[in-house]
Amino acid sequence: MYSWRKLREKLFTCLIIALSVLAIAPVLHIILTVFVNGFAVIAKAGTSFFTDLPPTPLSKDVGGIAPSIAGTLLMTAISLPIAVTLGLFAAILTAEFPSNPLSLAVDAIAKPLASIPTIAVSMIVYTLVVVPMKSFSALAGAVALAVIALPYTYTYFSTALRSVPSVYREAAFAIAMSRWGAVVRVLIPVARKALTTGVLMTVARVMGETAALLFTAGRFRTGVSFSPTAPADAIPLLIFDYILSPYAVWHQVAWGATALLLLAYLMVFLATKLIVKEVRL
Amino acid sequence: MFAVEMNNVSVYIGDRQILKEVTLRTPYNTVFVIMGPSGSGKTTLLRVINRLIDLVEGARVEGFVKVLNFDALHSDPYELRKYIGMVFQVPNPFPHLTIYENVAVAAKINGVAKSKRELDEVVKWALEKAMLWDEVKDRLYDHPHKLSGGQRQRLCLARALAMKPRLLLLDEPTANIDPVNARKLEEAIVSLKDEVTVVMVTHSPHQAARVADYVAVLYDGRVVEQGPAQQLFLRPSTEIAQKLLRGEI
Repeated sequence: MYSWRKLREKLFTCLIIALSVLAIAPVLHIILTVFVNGFAVIAKAGTSFFTDLPPTPLSKDVGGIAPSIAGTLLMTAISLPIAVTLGLFAAILTAEFPSNPLSLAVDAIAKPLASIPTIAVSMIVYTLVVVPMKSFSALAGAVALAVIALPYTYTYFSTALRSVPSVYREAAFAIAMSRWGAVVRVLIPVARKALTTGVLMTVARVMGETAALLFTAGRFRTGVSFSPTAPADAIPLLIFDYILSPYAVWHQVAWGATALLLLAYLMVFLATKLIVKEVRL
Repeated sequence: MFAVEMNNVSVYIGDRQILKEVTLRTPYNTVFVIMGPSGSGKTTLLRVINRLIDLVEGARVEGFVKVLNFDALHSDPYELRKYIGMVFQVPNPFPHLTIYENVAVAAKINGVAKSKRELDEVVKWALEKAMLWDEVKDRLYDHPHKLSGGQRQRLCLARALAMKPRLLLLDEPTANIDPVNARKLEEAIVSLKDEVTVVMVTHSPHQAARVADYVAVLYDGRVVEQGPAQQLFLRPSTEIAQKLLRGEI
């Protein structure tokens, strides 16, 4: 009886391990394939992969992806503060005044906004920003990215704020803190891990977005620009264009860019784990 | 003159009436204990005093509540709360702040201390009053998760005292802590009444007998009996109070 129970327990453990391996295997395969192919390209190009312009189609030299790196950094830097600020204020509003009509409206709008196809956002921003400006631009790309990121930041932040046990909120009010004081001095610091995770996840989301930039950023690959009003490129856009092209050298560049993007992703997730300390309740 | 005066106070949460025409008076510098079985409305009554009831969605308060000369129901709740400390049933020190900061924050917000030296003095005073100073004086910069449940509750008492309140509300403060810590907390409560009026909620008649000067018995949202503790414990006039003292309800 006892040994059967032990055997059953071992079988169950083996089953769990086997299923876990099965679940994680495709992800590991993708990561390994990208890293093996991508880092070979980066190693071949050296530091010029980060500083040079992309190669011409028939070039033997791999060149670099400097315009795409610059564009990704610039558009992330513009869109992130917009999405984080608006998302945080919306989350505070709905967490603090859940029955307020404005809160109900924000909550009702934010969730469907996350499911709008990103290419549709790109088209809308094209109409509202690119056409009046008469040019593709990093700003237009950043606006599209901010619109896409906003429902994510809102959802992350409101979940984080609502997960703070109400006893801390009550304690804050009981020592005569104002509502704003309770939010700034208690709710946000207690939820800091979840909030920072939200910011970093949004960074990852924004850096990897492609469709939102199709009709907005402008695919500027003939120089490095940090001007918000000038056309810009992004790493995912470059990958999308180059992998569909018939040129071998562009395929190589796409692998290198993918490895770099994936590495950035992994670093963001690692940073989330390492940098921010959980508040022990 | 009373620290808390309630006349015909009724509280509704949605359609449910929690308090029913409660009338009571709390003399200054006494320990006033509100005693009653679970669900009788004790916590709600405390939350009316410092207007934390405002945080409860759908809550409505009727009647007249005077707290330290404030018309409590029509005053600015943030202004009112500056004079009222509160300790909750579950210890809730701020987890992101150190022991020192937990106490200091209450003093800073309410303008009790202006300089760092004054702040240090207030923190020490409050921790001493809460009978916690000796246990934490060498680890003031630890976070509260390193304290025991009883120590955390006394830290909450110190935090409330650091506001230098004139009224202290205690919501079953010993319900979740061990007997040794409970005794220390009770000693602290009794020693405080020279400086502050204490309104304490408990369901334990034994605890009420140990600390109370005045007692009100709350049952099903109504005050069924109130008066000096000795009188009420020796000669309870209502059947509900008698049953409560015998531990039958």
